[in-house]
Amino acid sequence: MKTVPFTKSYGGATVLTMPSVELAPGTVTAVIGANGSGKSTLAKVLAGLEPADKKTRAELDARVGYLPQKSFAFRMSLQRNIALNGADEERMARITQALGLSALAKRSAKRLSGGETAKMALARLLMADYDVLILDEPTAAMDMESTLAAEQLITGACAETGCAVLLITHSLAQAERTAGRLLFLHRGRLIEQGETKRMLKDPKEPETKAFLEFYGA
Amino acid sequence: MQTALQKAIALILSADRELMNILGTTARMTLMSSLLALLIGVPLGILLGSARFRARQALVVLNRTLMGMPPVVCGLLFYMLFSGVGPFRHLHALFTVRLMVLAQVVLITPIVIGSMETFAAGVAPQLRETARGLLFSRGKTFALLVNECVYPIFSTYLLGFSRAIAEVGAVAMVGGAIAWKTNVMTTAIMQYTNRGNFSLGIALGIILLGVSLVVNALFSLMQWRLSR
Repeated sequence: MKTVPFTKSYGGATVLTMPSVELAPGTVTAVIGANGSGKSTLAKVLAGLEPADKKTRAELDARVGYLPQKSFAFRMSLQRNIALNGADEERMARITQALGLSALAKRSAKRLSGGETAKMALARLLMADYDVLILDEPTAAMDMESTLAAEQLITGACAETGCAVLLITHSLAQAERTAGRLLFLHRGRLIEQGETKRMLKDPKEPETKAFLEFYGA
Repeated sequence: MQTALQKAIALILSADRELMNILGTTARMTLMSSLLALLIGVPLGILLGSARFRARQALVVLNRTLMGMPPVVCGLLFYMLFSGVGPFRHLHALFTVRLMVLAQVVLITPIVIGSMETFAAGVAPQLRETARGLLFSRGKTFALLVNECVYPIFSTYLLGFSRAIAEVGAVAMVGGAIAWKTNVMTTAIMQYTNRGNFSLGIALGIILLGVSLVVNALFSLMQWRLSR
């Protein structure tokens, strides 16, 4: 599916100008860029949480699952939190085991650490099927082992259900591991997009080159 | 003073009839008004804190203004409405416990709304964002928000209860502090102290503090158990 071109402003200042981009089913598209480049804004507009300027209907016309940077842990056990989005016990067992959450099933979600909450939030989202998954830095608070497990679950969900995944990430390594396509945002504009391996090896735009050099790609 | 204290303790231990009547009237008035304020104020407070609409900020300011309403002003308003020349004189509600309850509900409900609004406004944005991302319905999102508010509801009730049991201005004006009818602990303390009957005043003061302590302890225990 193709997104609609849009701009997004806050208080009269335009923070994001996006052309149309393709989100192909069964593929992971990673979005990289420095802080304040508009990555989270892109995620929120496409997920329908924030309106685009001039009443443009920029939210995706599909069943979109969205994972914010900071997910809310509801006042109940970890298991019940996850079950809020689906009661399939087998699916829950598989996901919680992969993320190392099985032992924490009965613990109150309010008593989880930041990393545990992030894992719970991802597990909760993956209990249902979506046409598009928009994940805003889903593994930022996770350790390496959990990060790799989470990436496997995300790419697995993508392959099994054919959903398109838009993955916001600060990690170039993660983008390389998981995403077939890459979007680079800089100061609210899409500077370059293309195949991940090609872009990381041979970026065309000077801004992309400078960003990748700075982050040691 | 020591003799008054000794007499006060004797009154409590002997379950003096007048003392028991005052306690009973206080309990009835306080429980009814605090519970009614809770029933009205909690859903309104959660809605006000979580909903987004144009007049929201104006309503928040209005509620905060009402939170600071002087009890005697509230009492005066009710007196004017229900007195012999007021529009509701036909209800014959002046100098009754039920009017005292109504006046207290008007005083306490904004406090309950304000307390719940503050909490709901703090959690609602992130909760709503997460729920929206999971494609939860509005009903499910609101139910989850109410679930988050269970713990603060206890502390809000304590706030309302404490305000109700300690209130004197409005209840004195609309209740009249009539012995054996509308005299509650606070009005009785004022009345008997003015008459020089310190022992009953002290007895009531001890009980008032004791009730507050017990209620606070019980609710703190309930909060602790809920948080586990």
